[in-house]
Amino acid sequence: MSLAPGRPALRDFLAIDERERLVALAQTVRGRVLLFVVAVLAVSTYNSWSEAVFVVAAAMAFATLEKQRQLILFAATYAMAFSAFWLSETAIEENIAVVAAQEGIGHVTPLLLAHLALITFMIFSWSALMVVRKHKSFVLARRPVIALLAIYVVFCGLTSLDLLHGLPRLALWSFLSVYTPYIWFLAYALGDQRARDRSPDTFQLGTFHPFWGGPSSIPFGKGAGFLRKTLSKTPADLAVTQIKGVKLLLWSNLLLGLKVVLTWLCEEQLNIPSVELAVGAYLDGQGFPIALGWSALLWSTAKFCLRTAYWGHLFIGGARLAGFRLPRATWRPLEAQTLIEYFNRFSYYFKELLVDFFFVPTFFRVFRKHPRLRMFFATFMAAGVGNAIFHFVREVDLLATMGLAASIESFTSYLFYCLVLATGIGISQVRANAGYRPSPTLAGRLWSFITVWGFVVCLHVFSDESREHTLLERSSFLGSLFGVS
Amino acid sequence: MNVDGKLKLRKFLKEALEKHGDQGELSDSESLFVSGRLDSFSMMQLVMQLEEAFGLDFSTVDFDVSLIDSLDEIAAFVDANASA
Repeated sequence: MSLAPGRPALRDFLAIDERERLVALAQTVRGRVLLFVVAVLAVSTYNSWSEAVFVVAAAMAFATLEKQRQLILFAATYAMAFSAFWLSETAIEENIAVVAAQEGIGHVTPLLLAHLALITFMIFSWSALMVVRKHKSFVLARRPVIALLAIYVVFCGLTSLDLLHGLPRLALWSFLSVYTPYIWFLAYALGDQRARDRSPDTFQLGTFHPFWGGPSSIPFGKGAGFLRKTLSKTPADLAVTQIKGVKLLLWSNLLLGLKVVLTWLCEEQLNIPSVELAVGAYLDGQGFPIALGWSALLWSTAKFCLRTAYWGHLFIGGARLAGFRLPRATWRPLEAQTLIEYFNRFSYYFKELLVDFFFVPTFFRVFRKHPRLRMFFATFMAAGVGNAIFHFVREVDLLATMGLAASIESFTSYLFYCLVLATGIGISQVRANAGYRPSPTLAGRLWSFITVWGFVVCLHVFSDESREHTLLERSSFLGSLFGVS
Repeated sequence: MNVDGKLKLRKFLKEALEKHGDQGELSDSESLFVSGRLDSFSMMQLVMQLEEAFGLDFSTVDFDVSLIDSLDEIAAFVDANASA
């Protein structure tokens, strides 16, 4: 054994990836079978048994069969994507069905349209990669995110502003429903075309909603550029990465278990309502104890955090099984002592997306002579503007069900959330750069915890995804929790 | 980049790593950002540090993280782009 000296006993015990015998075992057939079985058990809490077996087998095959990697990644990713349609695991078919009903089209099934839209998107993406390689001055090559968002805006306009009708509208809407959850993946791939060691197109396309990454619009593992640099290089390196992957999968299951227990306790035993119900009850003038309101807010925030961490660990665990030495998606968020630290720790790959596509371009272009303003503004563009755009774009289905105007109006509360969050994180960033360090004492740590998480919990009132209540109604509810009516 | 510049840079990077709870060794060729040891915000702080110390203008560079992913790469980048 070669464990780190001076580390707490529990951490030493959990550091199984540092045990030489286990690392050696993980390089044998017996060890791989053991990793496979444990991983399948862990992944099956999210996927069906057959999907869990498929995901883990594909990940381990990718890691082991070096010459077939591109084929495995591409085939496994699109097998999962198409099977998700068959198993109705995505909202895409539902979105298509809404517009099909609006247009009175019953002879083409949403399932068929979803398949055709995904094939069209794959061709579109492949063509886009070729175009930006050939024409480096093309807007798609120079400003991929702006170009992709412009396409989104045009398609949204065409499908929701009474400009198209019948099958053309349905066809375009089907494409938009598939295009939207893939935007950020395609943006990473387009950006990677500038790299000297860029990955082949099949590898790039295989990283769009990769088979380990679930339905999330956040690219867990970023794009091909980041993934190829983090790939394990030696058998020992791979064994350590896979053991870490299994550890993370087990950790995700512990978090899931905690969420199940807390849900039972809070919702079934203590009857704590959701934020949506709590705000509704408050607005209806029902007698609503302040303590119950705070409980609703605290529990809702905790549930959101547990869900985010569970998914992140599950997806990164899967990627590590494939041999990618990826950093964790959530890393001890409760230890965050400042808001910028919270932003870094809570959802790493979402933060990276915002930094890569909003912070970095802003940072290199504006206020270069004013370092503090430059840092604040770039942070604001990421945590505020980027965050708002990501969430608005992600919920494209609301354009069909609510219409463009109502969809934008219902987004006001989340927009406010982004504005306040970004201002807080921006100030925290500037303070950190100016040398501010929170007190390392116990009292200082406690104060940091209360201020950071107090801010996050209070702000959660506005980020609730139901879109049920207006900004004013939510503000009024939050005020009531402080005794202001 | 001279020895003094590299020492200063190493000190800055070690401090950034410690802020991330990373007390590990830092070799000249080791990946900082792609490996996940440091995040994008630390990268931007490094960019500011390099702009200030060496008069670099990153807006004229087709920026990619691999340009400054290790001490060796940063030194090579500075040598190729420093105005003074």
